[in-house]
Amino acid sequence: MLNRKSIIGSLMVLAMAGTATARAEEVLRFATWDTDESLAIQQEIAKKFEEKHPGVKVQVEPYADGYDQKLIAAFGAGNPPDVMYMWNFPQYYTSLKPLDDLIAKDAAEIKPDDFPQGLMNTVRVEGKTYGMPSGFTTQVVFYNKDMFAKAGVEEPKDGWTWDDLRAKAAKFRDEPNKVYGFAVDAKPDPYDFEQFLWSNGTKYISDDGKKIDGYMNSDAAAQVLDMFGDMAKKQEAITLNLGDDTTGSTLFKGGKIAMFQSAMWSKSGIDASGIKYGVAPLPKFGDKTAHSALGVSAISIAKDAAHPDLAWEFVKFFSSPEAVAMRINDLPVRTSVAEEKGMTKDPVYKPFFDILATSNTETHAFLKNANWGKVQDNLARAIEATMIDQGNAKQHLDDAVNRSKRLMK
Amino acid sequence: MDMSYATAAVPVVAKRKRSAFARHIVAYLFISPWILGFLFFTLGPLVFSLTMSFYDWPVVGERSFVGLENYRSMLFEDPQFWESLWITVKFAAIYVPFNIVMSFLLALMLHHITFASGFFRTAFYLPSVISGVALVTIWSWIYSREYGLLNFMLSFIGIDGPNWLGDPNLAIVAIIIASLWGLGGTMLILLTGLKAIPKELYEAATVSGVPGWAQMVFITLPMLGPMLLFTFITSIISAFQQLTIALLLTKGGPLGSTYFFAMYIYDNAFKYFDMGYAAAGSWVMFIIVLLLSLGVMRWSAAWVYYEGEVRQNDGEHNA
Repeated sequence: MLNRKSIIGSLMVLAMAGTATARAEEVLRFATWDTDESLAIQQEIAKKFEEKHPGVKVQVEPYADGYDQKLIAAFGAGNPPDVMYMWNFPQYYTSLKPLDDLIAKDAAEIKPDDFPQGLMNTVRVEGKTYGMPSGFTTQVVFYNKDMFAKAGVEEPKDGWTWDDLRAKAAKFRDEPNKVYGFAVDAKPDPYDFEQFLWSNGTKYISDDGKKIDGYMNSDAAAQVLDMFGDMAKKQEAITLNLGDDTTGSTLFKGGKIAMFQSAMWSKSGIDASGIKYGVAPLPKFGDKTAHSALGVSAISIAKDAAHPDLAWEFVKFFSSPEAVAMRINDLPVRTSVAEEKGMTKDPVYKPFFDILATSNTETHAFLKNANWGKVQDNLARAIEATMIDQGNAKQHLDDAVNRSKRLMK
Repeated sequence: MDMSYATAAVPVVAKRKRSAFARHIVAYLFISPWILGFLFFTLGPLVFSLTMSFYDWPVVGERSFVGLENYRSMLFEDPQFWESLWITVKFAAIYVPFNIVMSFLLALMLHHITFASGFFRTAFYLPSVISGVALVTIWSWIYSREYGLLNFMLSFIGIDGPNWLGDPNLAIVAIIIASLWGLGGTMLILLTGLKAIPKELYEAATVSGVPGWAQMVFITLPMLGPMLLFTFITSIISAFQQLTIALLLTKGGPLGSTYFFAMYIYDNAFKYFDMGYAAAGSWVMFIIVLLLSLGVMRWSAAWVYYEGEVRQNDGEHNA
């Protein structure tokens, strides 16, 4: 008996060893756009995954700046990575694996409710989920505490409005030294810019993705653009990106602007500059609720992945509290991790999470219409034209709508 | 011994036959790198892009045959097509004449200069070997409104420099100036042409008391005709293909004022991944450049003189 048991036992060991060696052949390809520190963190996560899955090798492929070109070429050539970073779902979703069934199957492990609704909205196309959020940022206003103290201006508070911001900004104007209260961008990323329309009760495009007339060129939209134009005209703000590519972040770090509207990606640079700063939420338009753009990176599986099961295991691990907590360069996509780290209470991080909670009712335009990329370029031109004119938003937005007619069919 | 003789004897005939064939093979082998390169990297993609232009061709997802739809929608519904074409035509209309006249003047100068001619020749040619990206970086420093070299120099003569790259009317001028920086190549071609004109012609003219301007009009320009024609056509082509400088220096802006036709094609292909539409754009550009070049060739019959060629009316005159 004993003897037989030990034989069976050793056979099992052999069999397991056999599968282990068989799996040693398995290489999971994981493509990412990150570089430097963020890349190192992802490699660390990949290594942890390898430890938990003996015989599996995760090949991290950092495509960096050429990410979209390389990824699209890999798909075009029928040789996509198994798992990849993803944001442009409308472009790729037909080649990605829907995850809804898998998430439902492993719900106990994943705890889908731990992911804020606003983030999940950005990984869905036509009602199906094509990725798991892996990092995000909302938009905030950084302000220079020393400059506020020196000028005797009261620091921004929760619930402040654009009128408040303008009144404060005006107090910092110092033309000879080129110091201003705020910066407005003549070439903002239209993706982020939609937050101001949302906050003022409108949007670029109807929810069914078929109409821009009456949305993009609505009075509420024109009002937003005209306000920024007027801020530039009255020198409450300096205008960025008009023939000069000095960034707002450079000006803020150099103490040339007192307030700077940006996102998580500016934070580490500002930290490094050593200035004393505070973080305020996005201002409101009157008493309407402020609504932030959501910059979300997600992780997806190729429909034709060579190792679909292993890919899902990796995605699950990448979304696990352990891996989420490791990605310190991103804001945690799990509410539980954010709370555990005390970030939802920390005055620097709190505004990011506060506005995330109220930014779950709108969907970014590019998820609604396949031609959005082209429409967006017409819109970007209208924004730039308004900033050059320092006004006339309605006329420029109407023009953008007319130029986009062809694309709305 | 006999055996080896016998075996050796048979191939002699075959060898002779084969050697005739082998001679051709060798010739083809020698030009095969070019032929293969031409087939795979020029003709193949050319035909492929023509096919592509009849398709709705996203890189990811299904492609479908749409016939002439890409061309129809481009010509009749896309305002951006006409705008970028017009910008390109404007650019060509200014760039081409300037490029040729300035190259010609520089070549003339270098031809007559006796002092440090090697140095000047190198100095004028050097900018044209600098790669596009480096060139653009240099010019973005020159044009910068606040910190730029150009506005700094203008400030010495009391001019408050404009916003070169931020003003929709000036940006294209800035791009023309930056493009003209690379005229060294054209200059070198014209300089070679000048050097090839026989001195005797000028000596004879001088002896006959022909004034300098007339020597220019009746000897230099006609003798340089073929070279001028060549540079004219290549300048037109490169003007229509202008992409690097605009793409990097102004990104097509401000307000699309430097959104060249090549950039329109580039964006359709690599920004919107609409390959069929982009291919259609390339073919429209090809046809425009072809027609322009044919037009110039035709027109050139009136002013280009090839050595050894007897003109018909000259012939009549002699008869």
